[in-house]
Amino acid sequence: MILPKFDYKKGVDIAAAIALYESSKGRARYLAGGTDLIPLVKLRLSTPGAVIDLKGIEPLRAVSRKGSTLIIGANVTLFELKTHDLARNYFPALHESLDATSCETLQMRGTIGGNILQNTRCLLYNKSLDWRTARGFCYKMGGETCNVVSNAAACFSNYCSDNALSLISLSAGVKLAGPGGERKIKLEKLFSGDGRNPFALKPGEILTEIRLPLKRSTGAYEKLRVRNAIDYPLLGVAVSIQDGKGRVCVGGIGPAPRAYDLKDLSASALKEVAKQARQEARPVSNTTLSPGYRKKMTQVLTERAVKRAMKEGK
Amino acid sequence: MKTIKVSFRVNDEPVAFQVRPYETLLETLRERLDLIGGKEACGMGACGACTVIVDGIPLRSCLVLTPEVEGASVTTIEGLGKDGDLHPLQESFMEKGAVQCGFCTSGMIMTAKALLDRNKKLSKKEIVKTMSSNICRCTGYKKIVEAVEEAASKRKSR
Repeated sequence: MILPKFDYKKGVDIAAAIALYESSKGRARYLAGGTDLIPLVKLRLSTPGAVIDLKGIEPLRAVSRKGSTLIIGANVTLFELKTHDLARNYFPALHESLDATSCETLQMRGTIGGNILQNTRCLLYNKSLDWRTARGFCYKMGGETCNVVSNAAACFSNYCSDNALSLISLSAGVKLAGPGGERKIKLEKLFSGDGRNPFALKPGEILTEIRLPLKRSTGAYEKLRVRNAIDYPLLGVAVSIQDGKGRVCVGGIGPAPRAYDLKDLSASALKEVAKQARQEARPVSNTTLSPGYRKKMTQVLTERAVKRAMKEGK
Repeated sequence: MKTIKVSFRVNDEPVAFQVRPYETLLETLRERLDLIGGKEACGMGACGACTVIVDGIPLRSCLVLTPEVEGASVTTIEGLGKDGDLHPLQESFMEKGAVQCGFCTSGMIMTAKALLDRNKKLSKKEIVKTMSSNICRCTGYKKIVEAVEEAASKRKSR
């Protein structure tokens, strides 16, 4: 598929990239690995006037320690992070989710920052312009209806990052830099909850760092998928246990992940969280699997992931 | 829109072009250099038929803008075998009958080459996992995996 016209700019450092954004009158998109952005542009779901390439910015490519915090540059590729010793030894949930992301070739191109900031998806949204024009535009395309659920008041597109779930289970934070300066927020605060515009980012902001408390954990990631390679999660559940406290994060259903704390590591607490996760999951028929199945599997995979995470701890 | 000057290496030869900023590496390779081994199938980065190796890393060239490879070294399927002297992977693909319609083959071989180049010892499981990056719609996966295993073991015995 042919790309529409846009300009290509290269940011030499973060300040220069933000300056390029400011000079673009809000019509630029930041480009890292491009595995999410380029297909969206090909489908005319994003029509930037220019892309600003962030790959040349060296500080964004480093994994470093600062006191008891692990700082992961947003441009570290998924494959680099997966093969990093700290990810494997300290954060098994993250290691598993990285390994479950798409396929190896795309893991080598896709970055952790881009994986977190990937747009939400829907069976009736990620389509060609001709297809969408014939069907009629939905909320996410700027229309006034949802093509999946009639009379719906909101957009039900699904957030399909595997790794944001495991990072939330590990209480990750992110650092953002933009025209208004830098700020640090908890990763779960990055989500707006609105499928049309899923991130609470200010215009021109760049995700620069992912910050993780450097504490050993046990954990697991369970992904519902149909092909075992090159596919997005139809449901994902990450669990991490640190210092006897467990955190569960469920995603792949709806525009934002949902996090739950495990009261303790007992069987009853596990059952309670799994049941709550199922009750709060609101899948609709916008993926290749039926909503009923995905809802049921929310409980199954939550139980499975927590059990695995507990077993690893023993 | 202004064109951009890009210079990089393709199969060990330096090249330089004035390209459109929104031109993909796959388009440059196929249309400007006539290297038509890499194929466009899905055009969305899902299938892997356009895989080329850039600085040792296998990439979907349909998702890479040509300006992004400034200064890089690109290897395409045409850069593997020279004048009848085939790469062990190309030989094993022929011997094992790992080619049916052939549309996925160059991408498969480039993914396999990058794997063999970066890993010394390979289990069958690792080969299957890496090769699952590419899609073959004739579904001839078994023979493809056998061919990569064969090339890996030949390399060891050398």
